[in-house]
Amino acid sequence: MTLSRRDFVTSSAAAATAAVVGLPRTAAAQAKKGGTLRVGFYIEAATMDPHLSGSKVDRQVYHNIYEPLVTLDVKLGIKPGLAESWTQPDPKTLVFKLRRGVKFHDGTDFNAEAAKFNFDRMKTEPKSIRKGEVANIESVEVVDASTIKLNLKKPDASLLATLTDRAGMMISPKVVQERGVELGRNAKGAGTGPFEFVEWIKDDHLLIKRNEQYWNKQGGPYLERIRYRPIPDDTVKLQSLQSGEIDVIDYVQPRDVAAVKADKNITELDVPSLAAFAYQLNFGRAPFNVKAIRQAVAHAIDLEQIVKGVWLNVGYPANGPIPPMSWAYDKSISPIRRDIAKAKAKMAEGGKPGGFEFTMTTNNIPLSVQEAEVIQAQLREAGITMKIKLVDASTLISDGNAKNFEMISFQWSGRPDPDGNIYQFFRTTPGTSFNWSGISNEKLDALLDRSREVSSQAERKKIFSDVTRILQDELPMVFIIHPIEPKAFSQRVQGYEPIPDGMMRFKDVWLK
Amino acid sequence: MLLLVTGGVFLLLHLTPGDPIDAMMAESGDATARESLRRELGLDRPIAVQYVVWMGRLLRGDLGRSIRNGEPVIENVSRRIRPSLELALLAMTIAILVAFPVALVSAVRHNTAVDRLGTSFALLGICLPNFLLALLLIFVFGVTLRWLPISGYADPLDEGWSGVRSLVLPAVTLGLALAAVIMRTLRSSLLEALGEDYVRTARAKGLSEGLVIRSHVLRNALIPVVTVVGLQLGTLIGGAVITEYVFALPGVGRLVVDAVFARDYPLVQGVILLIALAFIVSNLLVDVLYGWIDPRIRIR
Repeated sequence: MTLSRRDFVTSSAAAATAAVVGLPRTAAAQAKKGGTLRVGFYIEAATMDPHLSGSKVDRQVYHNIYEPLVTLDVKLGIKPGLAESWTQPDPKTLVFKLRRGVKFHDGTDFNAEAAKFNFDRMKTEPKSIRKGEVANIESVEVVDASTIKLNLKKPDASLLATLTDRAGMMISPKVVQERGVELGRNAKGAGTGPFEFVEWIKDDHLLIKRNEQYWNKQGGPYLERIRYRPIPDDTVKLQSLQSGEIDVIDYVQPRDVAAVKADKNITELDVPSLAAFAYQLNFGRAPFNVKAIRQAVAHAIDLEQIVKGVWLNVGYPANGPIPPMSWAYDKSISPIRRDIAKAKAKMAEGGKPGGFEFTMTTNNIPLSVQEAEVIQAQLREAGITMKIKLVDASTLISDGNAKNFEMISFQWSGRPDPDGNIYQFFRTTPGTSFNWSGISNEKLDALLDRSREVSSQAERKKIFSDVTRILQDELPMVFIIHPIEPKAFSQRVQGYEPIPDGMMRFKDVWLK
Repeated sequence: MLLLVTGGVFLLLHLTPGDPIDAMMAESGDATARESLRRELGLDRPIAVQYVVWMGRLLRGDLGRSIRNGEPVIENVSRRIRPSLELALLAMTIAILVAFPVALVSAVRHNTAVDRLGTSFALLGICLPNFLLALLLIFVFGVTLRWLPISGYADPLDEGWSGVRSLVLPAVTLGLALAAVIMRTLRSSLLEALGEDYVRTARAKGLSEGLVIRSHVLRNALIPVVTVVGLQLGTLIGGAVITEYVFALPGVGRLVVDAVFARDYPLVQGVILLIALAFIVSNLLVDVLYGWIDPRIRIR
């Protein structure tokens, strides 16, 4: 039985929701206290200061020692965190009722003043990377000791989702004032989370320990300590897990997934991620300044073949920027189907009936190179000649920001709200931004702005469907895949609940 | 000399495409934040000005601060030097302990099966890629036999035996490759020395073979070997990048590679400068050693 593309996508989405089940969850009474969980990551964290952090690995540690105002549940819904509840008296105001009796690890109280301090710091600290995320917050008022009011410049339906990550994380004002720049290396006493920072020997290990004074008495934390280690080589990282030197790894390479699934000593979890991997096309340069030519390339690429052959089905073919596990995902829109005849017709329409040539800039890592070579072969069948230019990560970002490319690889780790995967990439933006393609489409701009103003999820979903359809037509990006992030654990690890944002939260985890 | 190195490194770094601010703020599309950070770090000024500023600081003994964590370069390096130094010394020891006997036996039993075994081993050591040897050793001793830890670092000075255990596999990886080079150099210089007139004279005088080798041949044969060892020591400290990477050791090699990928200019410049210094120092040591081994070369 051949699976049509639509069926493949639908069944994958169903599998995705089913897969997010987690490790055996035993009743809390059986959970054992104690033990050190050893975690292996592929790179080192950059800083322990959430306001100054730009890297994904940092967040893994943050979600255990710091807490945001609101947090995500398994379906990417928003649930209370340090904020007990919230209301929106009008579209431009957000009022949070904060949890009482919560203390930072240094013993100081978490309250409205502390929360205001954090928001102000995010907006005014010179090196703050959160500025863009909180730009829409005009001011924060302390209503009473446990209530704050956020005054927004414009209605923003995606703000709550943004506050489930670094932008919503609360740092102890006392620690910030006393320690300043040192906070980046030493976060002792700075958070409110189930674990607290102990020490960090860069490139060797980062240690956090159980917070005995944690405010949430339901469930964990059970673990005595967690030890994070950066192990740059994938093979060595996997071997460390297999030999019992570490207990958890954050990512299994697609080529290792089959072997890991077969290994009886290891539990493997397919955690769908929010990420979207694509190629941006430069509207400001030939040949992709012509829409028909962009469409020709999109129709000459075989997404299924790439997902199957390069990614070994560790991911879903993408129909646009929204991943299948998002509430906004529209399964009625299928990914662009390969159609050589249509591609050739588009080429003729675009004035290049005999074929054309261009250069793809991509990352110098094995998976990206493989993917590029497959695409190169696929395009050749339509008469399109693609040259591959390999660069390192730093150059890739610089070339993208400078719009110095024709087609460039773009891998976005994803955000819980669809807005985080869409707005800054496709909204008309002068100057340097993530809108590398340079797209400027009035209809799209209007839809994007509207998606932030409207608060009903059903309405926003319709808007995002319209956006996806326009993106499939205008093609500022050719979307390829929403990768799965397989995680692997030793048999001793119990109680892990995967949340699709890929962050590993160990509050209720315990060791057998 | 150092001026050339610093100028060259500076130019190469800044001419490479890619930008530290872009790399640092990869997940943020905020253009104004980028510009203000760029201005604060002085990265918006012309290259010549940046060079002059850096040299000025350098002459005052200030290597500047890492762009990524804002800490002085010196501190960043001094935290990482210990693992690299320990690894280098251990690797060098292993290399010498392996190379000397093999080279001696090969040279003395020249053109026999033993010699061929020795030279084959040397060839293997030179041809086998570093990371392949590393992964093989990890697989055999770490995963299968479970005798030694697969990766990670414990300081032998702090944690004694477990520290040494964590360094064994990486030191053997580096040491075997080095042993191959030393072995070949020593063997050929030994053969050369064995063919010299003074050796025939010593043998004719009735000296035992062992005495001949120890007091005459070895000393003369050591000179090219000392050169090799000296140069390699310099490279080992800064350059055991692949080994550090595979075994997840927090050394200087990994520091500089990560810094290059992130275009952390001050850190890269600082480390390269220190490595160049290490090279110069080890070359000086080699010269002094020459004088000790060969009285003819002693500085009057």
